[in-house]
Amino acid sequence: MASTRSNNGWIIWLTFAIGLLLSISPMPQFMEILRPLWLALLLAFWTLYMPHKVGMVTAWCLGLAEDVLYGTLLGQNALILTLITFLVLSLQQRLRMFPMWQQSLVILVIFGLAQLAQLWLSALTGNRQPTLALILPALVSALLWPWVSYGLRGLRRRFKIN
Amino acid sequence: MGVRLLVLVVLSVALMVVDARFTLLKPVRSQMSLVLMQSYWITDLPQRLWQGVASQFGSRTELVADNEKLKTENLLLQGRMQKLAALTEQNVRLRELLNSSALVNEKVEVAELIGMDPNPFTHRIIINKGERDGVVLGQPVLDARGLMGQVVELMPYTSRVLLLTDTTHSIPVQVNRNGLRAIASGTGNPERLELRHVADTADIKVGDLLVSSGLGQRFPAGYPVATVKEVIHDSGQPFAIVRAVPTAALNRSRYLLLVFSDSRTPEERANDAAKAQEAEQNGEAPPIIPATVPKPAAPVVVPAPAPAPVATPVAPAVNAVKKPVPAPTPAAATPPAAAPATTRERQ
Repeated sequence: MASTRSNNGWIIWLTFAIGLLLSISPMPQFMEILRPLWLALLLAFWTLYMPHKVGMVTAWCLGLAEDVLYGTLLGQNALILTLITFLVLSLQQRLRMFPMWQQSLVILVIFGLAQLAQLWLSALTGNRQPTLALILPALVSALLWPWVSYGLRGLRRRFKIN
Repeated sequence: MGVRLLVLVVLSVALMVVDARFTLLKPVRSQMSLVLMQSYWITDLPQRLWQGVASQFGSRTELVADNEKLKTENLLLQGRMQKLAALTEQNVRLRELLNSSALVNEKVEVAELIGMDPNPFTHRIIINKGERDGVVLGQPVLDARGLMGQVVELMPYTSRVLLLTDTTHSIPVQVNRNGLRAIASGTGNPERLELRHVADTADIKVGDLLVSSGLGQRFPAGYPVATVKEVIHDSGQPFAIVRAVPTAALNRSRYLLLVFSDSRTPEERANDAAKAQEAEQNGEAPPIIPATVPKPAAPVVVPAPAPAPVATPVAPAVNAVKKPVPAPTPAAATPPAAAPATTRERQ
């Protein structure tokens, strides 16, 4: 059964590739600060609904790719994305039962924590962000979560990925 | 699950430490960037396509007007160039008289911007020239109006440029009007630099042009950096607050110039000069000088026709002046060799 249905697994990787592109796509200056954490959103969705396929190792590899793209220390974003995936995985049973707004709230908390860890790591390397505006991407991501979630669920149903 | 998390966390921390402290991971990073940096090119594609379409459908009158404008501009620049050649020659000759090597024209190469750093708190851009194109770490980057920044990360076909206005960047400058030296630090605002530790009584005015001073050995001297926008004398502050606006269009320029200047460090430059002089003194035969000196200079000239060719005519001049003063024995060969070395280093 797995062999007949799993051939659509490449869709997952396609969404990750699009996520990587979105996370570096040029934006107007004032919107850069609001850029959602696309990769983290996608990872959260796929780990929530397909924990047997996407896990912490995937998150770690994607984080490394992001590090190369951003020019940060190798392992910085990898660590952050692994932490996010771990938190989502450990809350997975409960999160799937939650209504959408409650999921958004949990996502906000998880991403906020991740951004704080990000601040801490970049402070270690000397690139300290001057403000707490770094929480804003977490907020934007949480607001985007319902749409991303519905969209990806539709995609999953359409291509019968599981 | 907990074990996997622990392993991955430890692995990432180890990677971060190794990446920060050693150069061990540089090849891995450059291999990964070979594939991944294509995505910057992809995200730049819509812009590129739009430009292509716009140029396809540009009206004829517009093109003619553009052409006209460029022609007049070219004529003006050519006119100025004619004078520049003469002035450069004169400058070189005067500097020879002063016993100092001049900066001759640096070689430049055009690069194109292909991406911005997604992190809004850092000012970095990605350009489409990399290690394979001969770009080196720390290389200065200009646009048509002034200095933009320096190369901080090399990848095979792309590189990352740190802009002047990044909070971690500072550049030694001097006021073009009177040569007053200062350090311009980035503020994180793309339209502002700040001069740190300028004395309250310093002669610096609004509208002054700040040019790179060449101290710090990173940026070539004499390129415009910023114009002073405001000078605030606050009696409660120990120093004057001086704010300047970068002359380069840091967040608008799409075509940049990479400057290839002398790749040797000041020590190497001094050593080369000293060696050339020693060889000349040991030989004691003037005709050998031109034969021995250009040899070490020749491979350097390829990327950088900077001070090297000028330094060669200077060396015999130094000797001609200095030989009668100390005893011309081989034992005294070291002091005159050391003296020009220190002066070169300061340039």
